[in-house]
Amino acid sequence: MGETTTSFLPVFVTLFPMLMTLVIYYVQKESAKLRNKLSVITSIITFIAVAAMYPQIIRGDILVFELFEIIPEMGFVGTFRVDILSFCLALISSFVWMLATIYSIDYMSHEHAQNRYYPTLIFTLGACLGIFVAGDFFTLFIFFELMSVISYVLVVHEETEEALKAGYKYIIMTIIGGLALLLGVINTFELAGTVSLEHTGMITTASGLAFATFIAYIIGFGMKAGMFPLHVWLPDAHPVAPAPASALLSGIMLKTGAYGLFRVFFNVFNVEFLQETNWIFVVTVLAVITILLGSAVAITQYDLKRRLAYSSIGQMGYVLLGMSLFTEAAILGAIFHIFSHAFMKGCLFICAGAIIVKTGKRDIRELGGIGIKMPVTMIAFTTASLAMIGIPPLNGFLSKWNLALGALDGGAPFYVVVLLISSLMNGLYYLPIIINAFFGEEVLHQEIKADDVPFKMLLSIVVLAVCCLIFGVSPINLPFDLSRMATDLLIGGGI
Amino acid sequence: MTFINVIHAHSTVLLIVSFLLFSFLMPILERWKNSWCATMAVAAHVLAFVFIGNLSWRVFTEGTIHYELGGWSPPWGIEFVVDYLALFMLITISTVSFLILIFGTVDLTHELKPKVLGLYYTLYLLLVGAMMGLAVTNDFFNMFVFMEIAAISACGIISVKSDRECVEASFKYLMLSAVGTGCVLLSVALLYMIGGHLNFAFAAVAIQDVAHIYPNNILVALALFSVGFIVKAALFPLHVWLPDAHSSAPSPSSAILSGLVIKIYTVVYLKLLYKVFPIELFDLLPVFDMILILSALSIFFGSIFAIVQEDIKRMLAFSSIAQIGYVFLGIGLANSTGLTGGLLHIFNHAMMKSMLFLSAGAIIYCTGIRKIDDLKGIGLKMPVVMGAFTIGAMAMVGIPTTNGFISKLYLALGTLDANKHFYLAIILISSFLNCLYYFPIVINAFFGESEEEDGEEEIQVKKLPLRMSVPLIILGAGCMIFGIFPKYILVIIERAVEMIL
Amino acid sequence: MIDFADVAMRLFENMYYLVSVILFVIGFHTMLTHSNLIKKVIGMNIMDTAIFLFFVSTGYVQGGVAPIIEPGVEQAYINPLPTALILTGIVVAVSVTAFALSLVVKIYEHYGTLDAEEIMRIRSTES
Repeated sequence: MGETTTSFLPVFVTLFPMLMTLVIYYVQKESAKLRNKLSVITSIITFIAVAAMYPQIIRGDILVFELFEIIPEMGFVGTFRVDILSFCLALISSFVWMLATIYSIDYMSHEHAQNRYYPTLIFTLGACLGIFVAGDFFTLFIFFELMSVISYVLVVHEETEEALKAGYKYIIMTIIGGLALLLGVINTFELAGTVSLEHTGMITTASGLAFATFIAYIIGFGMKAGMFPLHVWLPDAHPVAPAPASALLSGIMLKTGAYGLFRVFFNVFNVEFLQETNWIFVVTVLAVITILLGSAVAITQYDLKRRLAYSSIGQMGYVLLGMSLFTEAAILGAIFHIFSHAFMKGCLFICAGAIIVKTGKRDIRELGGIGIKMPVTMIAFTTASLAMIGIPPLNGFLSKWNLALGALDGGAPFYVVVLLISSLMNGLYYLPIIINAFFGEEVLHQEIKADDVPFKMLLSIVVLAVCCLIFGVSPINLPFDLSRMATDLLIGGGI
Repeated sequence: MTFINVIHAHSTVLLIVSFLLFSFLMPILERWKNSWCATMAVAAHVLAFVFIGNLSWRVFTEGTIHYELGGWSPPWGIEFVVDYLALFMLITISTVSFLILIFGTVDLTHELKPKVLGLYYTLYLLLVGAMMGLAVTNDFFNMFVFMEIAAISACGIISVKSDRECVEASFKYLMLSAVGTGCVLLSVALLYMIGGHLNFAFAAVAIQDVAHIYPNNILVALALFSVGFIVKAALFPLHVWLPDAHSSAPSPSSAILSGLVIKIYTVVYLKLLYKVFPIELFDLLPVFDMILILSALSIFFGSIFAIVQEDIKRMLAFSSIAQIGYVFLGIGLANSTGLTGGLLHIFNHAMMKSMLFLSAGAIIYCTGIRKIDDLKGIGLKMPVVMGAFTIGAMAMVGIPTTNGFISKLYLALGTLDANKHFYLAIILISSFLNCLYYFPIVINAFFGESEEEDGEEEIQVKKLPLRMSVPLIILGAGCMIFGIFPKYILVIIERAVEMIL
Repeated sequence: MIDFADVAMRLFENMYYLVSVILFVIGFHTMLTHSNLIKKVIGMNIMDTAIFLFFVSTGYVQGGVAPIIEPGVEQAYINPLPTALILTGIVVAVSVTAFALSLVVKIYEHYGTLDAEEIMRIRSTES
């Protein structure tokens, strides 16, 4: 176990994007190119800053920083604390965000209101990283609310009737989730006297208030993670956003909910307590329903982005299931699935964006023969889809394998069956798209230029697809190693 | 040096006297040089800052100040007491009214007829002076006099704009206010009958002695006080004068009425409950429970009524009813966290609601639109105003990093400390309801498309003068700063709460 | 058993308080039920008068004289404090009445009627 060192890096990765938002906002009056470049550079610098924490984290250190006291008498201090789990999530977030920003430059070049989009994108990056590097629940709550409210602007970017309705639903449900989370944090403070993430097992006596706290946290974080029955905002909000924003919403922002639940299960309550009171069963049941529901409804959707959104619901169900099983392999699978899903879903959404940009079509029935016209994009799409289904040796397979092992370790083979059925359903809704794209008849009778999408978009697509490929069953698997370390940390006591 | 000595010795009374003096001189000035009226009003406030600075320095270094008027010590003379609670209210009143006044100097030129413009400042300064007097008073009759001054001037600043709704609303407010004051005077009579003292401290001792002989007097007095202050502070169900009054008045008047006037009565009520009435009384009579129930109803119904309003100022007025419910919730919880939350909410709401009313006023000034549905797309044309409105809306809902969140947090912790979980649910549900009526306006303003019926119905926007945008920016910045660093104001509040409980 | 003679005796002794309570109720009732605005103002005045009566009568001391001190003579004086306070109160009531009546004049200019219900009807039909 390493020691606790003070480092400014956690604060930097959070505040630097937020401050750069102001700069970008003012720069855009000068030139659009400068704004774009500045946004990309900001995201790259943020990624490098997160990666810079790697050497210390690998040794097992924890980076802390105390920013300032907000309400000292209450013990509400703005602390930042990065351990392995936080680092994992911060790393994947900043990486995918960086690729999404690069992708945005060409994707958004024909869109309107770019002046609003880039500052919001960068600010949300800061807020999202703030959630991951927060050192106590109070700070986490602050960044959680900030991210929720600001990402609304990304969701309603198109300003169509549909987008506004979806955005309204999103923000109402997010506020409800935020209030439930506030209830949970306040109750935790009341019961435990502290909300700092330095402690584990803050609430270990069962009482009505403790159970209410648990449910409040489930509602608060589950709303964000798209858990049944709080997922209803997701199928409307994710498709309606621009493609890079959808990739980030599905790929990263859902994970904040999962991260929060990780912290709740391991820091607020602890594993033994949840297992002995069997409250965790609620989460397991909801996770199973989420998996089956997401996959099943995805089959019925014809809009490409809506299908991907429902698929995200199902995939988050995997993470929740892994979390709630509490065996080592299951948790490993859950954390690794956070990594893999970010890569896979990010890739899928930005491929979808490329398709929509090039052809203007969103209905999958009209996407026949597009594989010939856009080979690189569709190969990347295929790779990511196969990873989603769980074909070895891609990364999706590795996470599902671990989840299945974890279910067996926990003595509940039922969940393996659930995993198999849902993988089958995943196949049912991904394969038709791919088959139609490569072998289907050309439904489009319009002339598309035979070249693929612009370079910057291709770059992000290819990078993410390659990540799906190499981080599967392969010897150099950085995310897997990180996930293993995080699991050891959590199982070993959580500090 | 003697001038400084004078200020040092007599700040308390000079504060109030200066406001009264300036307001008396205002009609003369209005005849003579009309354009100087606004400047004089601002100068009065700046002078007040000097006095308050002196008072705060003295309170922090020496403790509570007892000032005897004319050198006559109580119980024969009138006494002003400046403790932390009074200091807190003085700071709140002076800063917020200063910013509202700066805004008003421009806005009023368009809302009022020119011949009453100068007289408006008379009423405004009277109102501020009376509120400051209510903050420091320690005497029953002094309180009554200042209450009446405040009531008349408050009704005055509504009816100074002689539209039909203004006059009617002002009449309703005056009548109900007179009932409230009547009840208060009657209860003063009842307490004087048995206590024989008008000074709070002396009366408390006297009432303590005779409480067992005349319990009915004290009970009836407490009931009448409550009714009187509930009418004046517009708690449900005696809030009926507030929506008309605050929505039809000129925007600076609405801002000061919603932001400060209804709050000062809660502080006076708090002072009475804790300083005058004996503690044992509250074991016999569930006063605090009653306050809690009424505040919960207020919070809930204020929000519900606000959701269905079409006019933006009427919606803000109903929202004020809900917010005053929060303050009474803090009072009713009767523990230190809850009371801190209630008092902090006074400060926060003064800033938030003034900012919201001033931005509504700015919108009406620049575009003439009052209906919420017509405000589509205005955010792009008036970014400063809508930015301030958005910060105010986020603060009302309770988004973290705004000051509204901090006061709601304290209130929520207070409900948990008092084991009244039902009120915690009320706080959370009402935050959600707040979101339901504030966010559509913000969303419409920034993302809605302005209705173009013939292609010519675009909203015409006048330019916003600097004197109107600067107070908005200062208040908005204040909301955010006190959201991130609330400890600067919490210092005063916590000491005040310690002294009360 | 209620001794009516005893109750009547006590009421008679506290006649001032009884009358002031009755006046208060009359005034309040007038304010609430009569729809003519001027009657509402009059009701407010009656209510205030009742309160003043109540307060002043608490200052009366049996056998006391007006509180003007003659040097050298020891007498019981009635309590001057309530009378002083009520003078202020009367002034306040007069100012409020004046203000209210001027508002009534303005309302009459706008609406042409002094009846509160009529005014509500006009407002609801036109808005």
